[in-house]
Amino acid sequence: MKRSRISHTIVLFLLGMTVFCLGLQNLSAQDNSKNKVRLKVDYVKIINGDSYLDISTGARIDKKNVSVPYLDLLIYNETEQDEIELGTITTNPKGKIKFVLPELRSMLPDSSQIYTIKVAFKGNENFKRASKSVSFKDANIAARLITKDSLNYISATLTDAYSNSPISDEHLNIQVQRLFNPLKMGEEFNNTDDKGMVLVPIEEGIPGIDGNLLIEVVLNDNDTYGTIKAIVEAPIGKVIIDESTFDKRTLWSPRDKTPLFILVFGNFLIFGMWGIIIYLIVNLFRIKKV
Amino acid sequence: MNTYKALVKDLAPKKFHKKDQLWMLFLSVIIIAGLVAYIDQILQGQKVTNMNDYALWGIYISNFVFFIATSFVGSVAVAILRLTHNNWRTPLVRIAEIITVVSIVMAGITIMIDMARPDRLMNLFLHARLQSPITWDVVIIPTYIVISLLLLYFPLIPDFAILKNYFRKKKPKLSKWYGKLALNWTGSPAQKAIQSKSIKIIALMILPVGLLLQTIDAWLFSTTYRIGWDSTNFAPYFISGAMVAGIGGLICVIYVVRHYKKLEKYITDFHFDKMGKLLTLVCLIYLYFNINEYVIPLFTAKKGEATHLDTLFTGSYSVLFWVVTIIGLVLPIIVLLFKNGRKPKSMFFIALIVVIGSWWKRYVIVTPTLLHPFLPIQGVPESWRHYFPSFHEWIITISTLAMALLLITIMVRYLPVIPIQRTADELGLNKKEQEENIEL
Amino acid sequence: MEGNKTDRRKFLDKGLKIGLAALAGSFGLSKFSSKLSAKNSRSSADKIELMTTDGKLIQVDSSEVIEVEKHNDHDSTYNVREGMANRKFVMVVDLAKCKNALKCQSACNKHHYVTGDNAWLKVYDMQESKDTAHYWMPMMCQHCDKPACVTVCPVDATFKRRDGLVLIDNDRCIGCRFCMAACPYSTRVFNWGEPNQEVTLNMDLIDHMSSPEHAGKPSQIGTVDKCDFCPHQVQEGDLPHCVTACPNGVFYFGDKYEDTVTNGEETLRLSQLLEDKAGYRFLEGLGTEPSVYYLPPVDRLVDFEDGLEFYKEYESVEKPEQ
Repeated sequence: MKRSRISHTIVLFLLGMTVFCLGLQNLSAQDNSKNKVRLKVDYVKIINGDSYLDISTGARIDKKNVSVPYLDLLIYNETEQDEIELGTITTNPKGKIKFVLPELRSMLPDSSQIYTIKVAFKGNENFKRASKSVSFKDANIAARLITKDSLNYISATLTDAYSNSPISDEHLNIQVQRLFNPLKMGEEFNNTDDKGMVLVPIEEGIPGIDGNLLIEVVLNDNDTYGTIKAIVEAPIGKVIIDESTFDKRTLWSPRDKTPLFILVFGNFLIFGMWGIIIYLIVNLFRIKKV
Repeated sequence: MNTYKALVKDLAPKKFHKKDQLWMLFLSVIIIAGLVAYIDQILQGQKVTNMNDYALWGIYISNFVFFIATSFVGSVAVAILRLTHNNWRTPLVRIAEIITVVSIVMAGITIMIDMARPDRLMNLFLHARLQSPITWDVVIIPTYIVISLLLLYFPLIPDFAILKNYFRKKKPKLSKWYGKLALNWTGSPAQKAIQSKSIKIIALMILPVGLLLQTIDAWLFSTTYRIGWDSTNFAPYFISGAMVAGIGGLICVIYVVRHYKKLEKYITDFHFDKMGKLLTLVCLIYLYFNINEYVIPLFTAKKGEATHLDTLFTGSYSVLFWVVTIIGLVLPIIVLLFKNGRKPKSMFFIALIVVIGSWWKRYVIVTPTLLHPFLPIQGVPESWRHYFPSFHEWIITISTLAMALLLITIMVRYLPVIPIQRTADELGLNKKEQEENIEL
Repeated sequence: MEGNKTDRRKFLDKGLKIGLAALAGSFGLSKFSSKLSAKNSRSSADKIELMTTDGKLIQVDSSEVIEVEKHNDHDSTYNVREGMANRKFVMVVDLAKCKNALKCQSACNKHHYVTGDNAWLKVYDMQESKDTAHYWMPMMCQHCDKPACVTVCPVDATFKRRDGLVLIDNDRCIGCRFCMAACPYSTRVFNWGEPNQEVTLNMDLIDHMSSPEHAGKPSQIGTVDKCDFCPHQVQEGDLPHCVTACPNGVFYFGDKYEDTVTNGEETLRLSQLLEDKAGYRFLEGLGTEPSVYYLPPVDRLVDFEDGLEFYKEYESVEKPEQ
């Protein structure tokens, strides 16, 4: 009797567990019907400027990659012990957002000076929860404009911020800021030498507003250091001159800028003809009066 | 000739008979049909036409150009003949003035039919750009309307006074209206002085304004890059074409009015002979400009020009082009060179051919050019490579022509079609009778 | 035997009870967890009534509705007839790369809600003379510096901006079509009837957003439309739709004053590109001074004939299935 009771209890327990698991499946089944959010996080540091995370949220729905807008995200500084919340943010209508990080001093790295930031999405009725971490070490780019023999160069040095030692054999993009995409200077790969330096000539005659060019020195998407960008103001550009005819009197200008010939001649004809017409109409009244 | 009394009786407006009323009814029906079609165009948009992004102007524009051309008759028959001291013009000028006014008014109406957004008509005045040839048109058309009205009205004043007396007993209400329009005309020297000075000014003015009107009409086309339009020849070509269309129209209307009002005494074979010679002259001038326009480009045969001339000479518009040129222009010249060709009945048929030819000629000017643009016609339905007006376009266009005829008929009904006072003066009829203002 | 029966009964009894309890528990848990997550996304109880594109009235949480503002709405000093400062927009079309994929045309049609029979961007089968090669040529508004269309407009409905763009004010246009007659590139299209964009365009949102900077949004009956060089994209820092849609990198777009153009992948100096590849402009001899440069179709990797499979001589706008 005792044995059967034990076995009965075991069977009952197993039965109960199965049913419970089925029930749980219901729970997670609801979760499975939701889509997965893909978080893309890039760390960007602007020298003498902000450091920020470039975050974009997307999903693969019906075999197409789409951006997912208006998602609430939490950002944490992950340390060896703990997660320190840095803030919350919501992605914009295009599913992108920039989260400005506080100064590195206020964050905690791990023992090898690596900072880890986590971006978490808690999930909502349409999407599962997701999170992405990005780790980076702090580095600096010191860039300046050099003019040698009336030729212009950008000289840049890449150093590790903690140890101040140069970082060699990394390739830097030297590029001029333009409207859509920047204009690249130098070689396809401008690699830093053993002193962490690159020297890149800047092409002649690149136009800029008032002759000013904004030249970026960028370490792009590095595994260790993330993206670092230094901006050099270089007044070496060709001055942009407004060539448009917008302010001139032309045939295609709006009516307030009619060419003078048309304005004068046209009005002369119009007033001339209508002046005579008015005189004639006055004559009609004169005839009546007589 | 007869006495003054008889003159007035002959020339005074008469009541409509059954035939005239039927004619008015017929025209009114057409006009109403046109109105209905136009309202449908307003509601649905111009997709009721057969115009497309390539044939973007069609029969509405060629009809408009025809009306502008016909309105030149005032400048020719009144101003030019006056300046050249052709005194035989007297019995013809009133009708010429009537046709001028009606044509230019219909031109204004017709161009508004082509506007796809007539609800924004005021933009043409509020936001007008003087650089645009359309703005020049917007200026010159109202100007010409007013001038041609003045040209019609000033010589009418003494006639209104005469008619006021003529109808005083028989039709007092009508007499009152004539009286109002007569502006207290008594024939006094002071009034005559103002009137004749004014007429002199108008006659002088209407010629340059008329030339300007035809020129601006031509420039609507020749200020574009289109092959077949981009021609330095266009303005004089249009001016001479307007003379042809105008005089042709004048002869047609004069013949009909003379017949129905029994004015054979006043408008004689002599007048027709003279008009025939005038028509021959202007047709020859027009032929000259046609040769400049269509023959000379053959010498260089630039690709675009060659395509255009091919279309007209041997291509899809060749039948129309040759009919309009040979039958509409060359044939009249040949017939009119003979004295018998200038007899009234022959003149009427020739003039009719000339007018119909003029109307289709403008179709040939507007449409073929649009169907061979610089870039090949691709990426649009096959039907877009051709154009023939739709039912809506035909009804609306025919109704504008009907409206023109209706307006002419109404004016001919109420206005003396031959200037009474002037004719009396020229014939030196009994001055005493005139001064006593005999009631009849 | 009796004892077994009782045991079985007891077993079934217990089993049922545990099973039911487990089921109830798991149901309860799932409901509870969904309620938790639901609470997170619903921050306010306010509801807004909106109308869908097919005329139904629906209630939507106000938190779900976000006002989309054009960033120029706030800037009352921005003159849409003057345009963006210090820019002169140009396009370069590399005819050597064009394979008539027509992705540019579909993207343009889609993003400008084109419903007529004539696309604003068309790829022509061109052949200069009978002995020379065929090539594919994308053609759109050239935004000429001496625009014939602007010269002839009687009401200032089409205008040339300082940044080089030629745009249309569809509220002003009177539908005279003189601009269409004047344009030598056959690039303007006309709305002969109602554009019927209700299917493709959310007509609710267009009222405070309608602007010459986003042509076709909406199109108006009896007025003219054409390529606008997508200033609505440029304002957001994005390239025009044809540029991004082209899979072969045919279209380059940029600012002539910056001497830089990009097709999304390559970013080049305009002057260098035109010199290296002998750029030219179409119908240069007419003196229109277009803003579109073409690179001649040399060293083509793909035959012209391969583009013929997509060529539709009589169609340029795909109509939606009815």
